[in-house]
Amino acid sequence: MPEPGAEATRPSKNAIELRNVGKSFGAGANAFFALKDVSANIGENEFFTLLGPSGCGKTTLLRCIAGFEEPTRGEILLYDQDIASLPPYRRPVNTVFQSYALFPHMTVGENVGFGLQMLNRPRDEIASTVNEMLRLVQMEELRDRRTSEISGGQQQRVALARALAPKPKVLLLDEPLSALDLKLRKEMQVELKRLQTETGITFIFVTHDQEEALTMSDRVAVMNKGDILQIGSPREIYNQPKHRFVADFIGDINFLDAIVTECGVTCQAEIVDVGMVEFLREGEIAVGQHITLAIRPERITLSAQARHPCRIENIVYHGTDTIYHLRLPNDDRMLARSQNSEGHAPAWQTGDDIGWAAAPDALAVIADNPS
Amino acid sequence: MLANIWLIGPAVVAIVILMVIPLSMMAWISIQARSYGGGVHWGELTGDAWLRFVFERNLDDSLSWSFNYLSIILRSFWLSALTTVISLIVGFPTAFFMATRPLRWRTLLVFMVTLPFWTNLLVRNYAWILILRDHGTINGLLMSLGVIDRPLPLLHNEFAVAVGLVYSFLPFMVLPIYSSLEKIDLRLVEAAFDLYSGRWRALRHVILPLAKPGIIAGCILVFIPALGSYVTPELLGGGKTLMIGNLIGHQFGAARNWPFGAALGLFLLALVLIAMTAYALRTRRSGGTQ
Repeated sequence: MPEPGAEATRPSKNAIELRNVGKSFGAGANAFFALKDVSANIGENEFFTLLGPSGCGKTTLLRCIAGFEEPTRGEILLYDQDIASLPPYRRPVNTVFQSYALFPHMTVGENVGFGLQMLNRPRDEIASTVNEMLRLVQMEELRDRRTSEISGGQQQRVALARALAPKPKVLLLDEPLSALDLKLRKEMQVELKRLQTETGITFIFVTHDQEEALTMSDRVAVMNKGDILQIGSPREIYNQPKHRFVADFIGDINFLDAIVTECGVTCQAEIVDVGMVEFLREGEIAVGQHITLAIRPERITLSAQARHPCRIENIVYHGTDTIYHLRLPNDDRMLARSQNSEGHAPAWQTGDDIGWAAAPDALAVIADNPS
Repeated sequence: MLANIWLIGPAVVAIVILMVIPLSMMAWISIQARSYGGGVHWGELTGDAWLRFVFERNLDDSLSWSFNYLSIILRSFWLSALTTVISLIVGFPTAFFMATRPLRWRTLLVFMVTLPFWTNLLVRNYAWILILRDHGTINGLLMSLGVIDRPLPLLHNEFAVAVGLVYSFLPFMVLPIYSSLEKIDLRLVEAAFDLYSGRWRALRHVILPLAKPGIIAGCILVFIPALGSYVTPELLGGGKTLMIGNLIGHQFGAARNWPFGAALGLFLLALVLIAMTAYALRTRRSGGTQ
């Protein structure tokens, strides 16, 4: 599979290069392939996110980079040096663990200084770096506390400071925000992005939260069943999903089955019993081909006069916007979302027959067939 | 609250009957004059029993230094300390191995560690006699292989007692260490690896400090019973390698010197109490490592 999204803007130098990395557990017929054939380049200073449902292999991939797992095949290059067989303590890579894994028998300051202590750095250098790191995460005044005496959010910051203190070439973050409550999580998202910009360290962030991935990342790799399906900027991933899984995993989306009728610069396709839609050409498309088109609910324009008819089955008010559950003439369901702007609410009701339309660039062609 | 004070009655009664009265009797007996037929001459107060620790009474009633008994006490300490150290050296890796097995294996391993308790202590010590004696398992094997041509002196010495004590008390070291190791989050070890510590430094800086409560508990549980052990030195020491326990037993038995036996018993108890108190004060001052 060619690397999707390679055209996305990213720095020229690679911090991490993954070449056909595979990891299986067990052997023979019982072997489980946690990673099948993963290749990706992660640029210097990039905020790179591995996004996917639990069990998709994202944490295994992170653990392979950290050195806790050895890939069964493939290469992991860190600045062009193969590190796949190095133990974790010989890799200039640090991890922020999901459970934080702070040492309970040490103070906050001792935790942060641990990596430098193990690197046999001089005492005064350790002390000044610890202070600098604690200042960076705004935890200076808690330096002499025990880790059991601070809150979850504070532990999170200590874990970050501890992993950043040895100035790693790459920082790995394994769902670090999942244990925090929503408000704190939002704060930490901003905080993480700030830290990444300030320290200039490459971040590889693992999450199953699509919103987290979209808000923080420079690029996102969407994973499923041990494979990377698509790599791209948050915009590309959201607006031009190449796979049904990617489209479905990130936010709401509608799938429309259509038959291509004409293909020039833009293409025409017929949705049976619904009508003709226009979309932008993407890859090899032949007339007569059956394709799946995907469209986000907010990209659908509703109006009484619009081209394609539909019936409103349900209207759900969401504060900032309203979700319309629509039924198409071919009996398919469709979701549409329209923003609520003041004094502009259409007076539609459940059961009304209205129309919908979509701009050509709102429709994405899904490469794989529905499974 | 005061109305229910009688609820502590049973505990008070138990403590008075089982501890206060017997200990007071021992203290009282230790300052009585001995009766040569056993027992004491009640009411005839003397410090003779306590003087015996370091003096011996000559025929002309004068005192002269004698360290026979002190050497037995010192040997007891030496053997108990040795037992504790060997148990720790053997027990820690054992406990570590057990704690890092999959859960279903651990239960079985814990059961196997406690298995010797199903056999009587005497039987276990006799088993060691069969293993260690001149024509026993080890010597017999080594001689038939031609490694040695005369038996090694394995039985009836400090070595035999140390072997027996380690064997008897090893589970008391393994189990507390196992239970503290089992609680350690292995992700902490991963975090140590991630932060540039190799295996040994992860052990020293992360695992050992976290296992410290178990290690200390194990040391106490081995050292104290070893210090007062009776059966093992009696059987494996062959009457030549006495420990405090045998000395006390001897005073109440063959030597018929109850006051001295009582004094020795109190002395042993006091030593243990002092050690325990010092440890308790230390952990309280350092805020506890739990």
